[in-house]
Amino acid sequence: MLIAPSAILVVVFFIIPALQSLQLSFYRVNTSTGRQIYVEFENFTRLFNSREYINSLTTTGIFILVVVVFALAISLLLAVGASQPIKGFGIYRTLLVWPYALSPAIAGTIWALLADPSIGVLTYNLERLGIHFNRQTNSTHAIIFICIAAIWKILGYNVVFFLAGLRNIPQDVMEASALDGANAWTRFWRMTFPLLSPTTFFLLVMNTLYASFETFGLIDITTQGGPGRATNLLIYKLYNDGFKNTTLLGSAAAQSVLLLIFVAVLTVIQFRTAGKRTFYR
Amino acid sequence: MRKQYFTLLVFVAVLSFTSFSLVGAQDPVQISFWHAMSGGRGDVVQGLVDSFNAANPDVQIVAEFTGSYADTLTKALAAVRAGEPPHMVQVYEVGTRSMLDSGAIVPIAEVSGGEFDPSLFVAPIVNYYSVGNQLSCMPFNSSTAMLYYNKDVFAAAGLDPEVPPTTFNEVYEMGKQIVESGAAPGGISFGWPAWIMEQMFAKHDQMLANEGNGRDALATETYFNSEFGVQVLTEWQKWAQDGVLIYGGREYSANDPFLAGEFAMLAQSTSSLGGIQNNAAFNLGTAFLPRLEGYEDAIGNNVIGGGCLWTMAGFSAEEYNAIWRFYQFLAQDEQAIIWHKGTGYFPVTNAAFDALDAEGWFTENPNFLTAFDQILKGENTVAASGVILGDFVTIRDIIGAAIEEAVVNGMDPREALDAANEEINQLLADYASLVESD
Repeated sequence: MLIAPSAILVVVFFIIPALQSLQLSFYRVNTSTGRQIYVEFENFTRLFNSREYINSLTTTGIFILVVVVFALAISLLLAVGASQPIKGFGIYRTLLVWPYALSPAIAGTIWALLADPSIGVLTYNLERLGIHFNRQTNSTHAIIFICIAAIWKILGYNVVFFLAGLRNIPQDVMEASALDGANAWTRFWRMTFPLLSPTTFFLLVMNTLYASFETFGLIDITTQGGPGRATNLLIYKLYNDGFKNTTLLGSAAAQSVLLLIFVAVLTVIQFRTAGKRTFYR
Repeated sequence: MRKQYFTLLVFVAVLSFTSFSLVGAQDPVQISFWHAMSGGRGDVVQGLVDSFNAANPDVQIVAEFTGSYADTLTKALAAVRAGEPPHMVQVYEVGTRSMLDSGAIVPIAEVSGGEFDPSLFVAPIVNYYSVGNQLSCMPFNSSTAMLYYNKDVFAAAGLDPEVPPTTFNEVYEMGKQIVESGAAPGGISFGWPAWIMEQMFAKHDQMLANEGNGRDALATETYFNSEFGVQVLTEWQKWAQDGVLIYGGREYSANDPFLAGEFAMLAQSTSSLGGIQNNAAFNLGTAFLPRLEGYEDAIGNNVIGGGCLWTMAGFSAEEYNAIWRFYQFLAQDEQAIIWHKGTGYFPVTNAAFDALDAEGWFTENPNFLTAFDQILKGENTVAASGVILGDFVTIRDIIGAAIEEAVVNGMDPREALDAANEEINQLLADYASLVESD
């Protein structure tokens, strides 16, 4: 009884729409005429035969890998640095968390401005170093740009969790190992890192979800999937097909089902592999 | 205490209802109008609506900004499905087929009770929005594409600033001279490249789809990968590889670098003229879009872009009468002139154009005349009227990506267009399967 309100919310806003999109994925729909035809698995088979979809899938895979690896590594570094007893610790920590407080749209606008091909501060300085950076006309630059912005955006979130995790590491264990003659690197690698593993594992899963679902705003504001199809990640392609035209709604539904399956599989794999190595005290 | 409050509240509520229904008898006819004009353009729309409302106390037009063109179209179609459509909605050129197929619109001839006379309107504009020789919507904001150029850069490069390029080869040669002389880092850029591609087809009298460019019936096949299409894209690729063409994104992002002098020429919508003219720190010139060599006999015309006002089905005769009066109001010279001067869009009627000409507007603002001359000097063939396709929004996106593949990523133009065309034909087949055959 007590969970009824939240259960109803979940059913109405999550379960029912999810089932509807599952149903929709077996139809071909025209949103202007409102007509629909049952097409069995056509939406799915077409996707797997489409060069564009496979492209988008590979790009997304690489994107997730890059974002997760770098976001975790950099934020761990920052958190370890921020957890040292230094002056102005509070301010330092607050500043680190800042990026996460921005909405993806704002973050996108900031980065779009920084890396604007003609007026961006970043491009200007790169130009002085002899690097001609143009995210509008160069596909490789565009995807690198999106990766950097996405990593930057999630750093704050990761740092918060890592900081909390570091706080929870018992000081006596660390002191004991220091007395045993372990140097800073060994202490970090043999003590801190394993003791931090539950946090790391949690963040690994969360960052994967972030990279797969929450980068839409960033892309929409900055590259809109281009140039060519360079930054047309699965989530962005899905939006484009579903909302920007009249006959691909069924395909978009199929894509959302597939995206859900991919991410679910990825998460299960993470639980099976990294999850087993996680050390809980 | 509480109970008293409650009674009072009920009393007030009941009272407000009755007063509503009492006043209701004399209320003006409410007409909802969804549009996609943001910023300064939105203010001009609101200004026109306000002056109409002031002059017609028995009608009240409620104008509402509903987001970008694509958003407005999506919202309008969703509102139709939900059974609560607006009375009028502004839809851009690529939404034409979707509106017709929605079965939820009333053609302008019907709204006006047969009074609407298309011959009063500028011909290429009427042609663009006509399907099966019938115009269904009220022409409102129309534009086309033209070539803007920086006269100062031309002079610095040793070119005659009064002689803009007229052909592809001239663009290339002049562009090279500009880049090599160091007058500007680049030669030319485009806004809306996929639309410029459509312009090229129409300008050279090349059909872009079967079924009379999709104007006689639903098109099922497009010709983006025709010899002509491949030739155009190959040229563009050559320009890009030789540093003459600087790719400038899909919409308006090329405007700023053009203003900053990063390249000397820009093919862009005429609706950007106001903004560019006001912000250019150099002498601005305008010219017709360049033509490809070898097609001297294939004279077509530029195509129209921009929006049209659609009337939705399901309202009373009284409401349609009010809408028709609003349309007539918009077509008056005075309002059409306000609209043109305020936004840079074409005055849509011939009379308004003549009135502007008579007051010397075009002599003072020759750049505004370029746009107009360009569409008036062409031939109004079927191919030149531009193409009408189902799911055009996506198709433009596919072509946009194909152009980027060739121009930016160096993909073979034929290969890029073949793949795009195949994808488009599949889309058209799907679209056709979902539309009632008529």
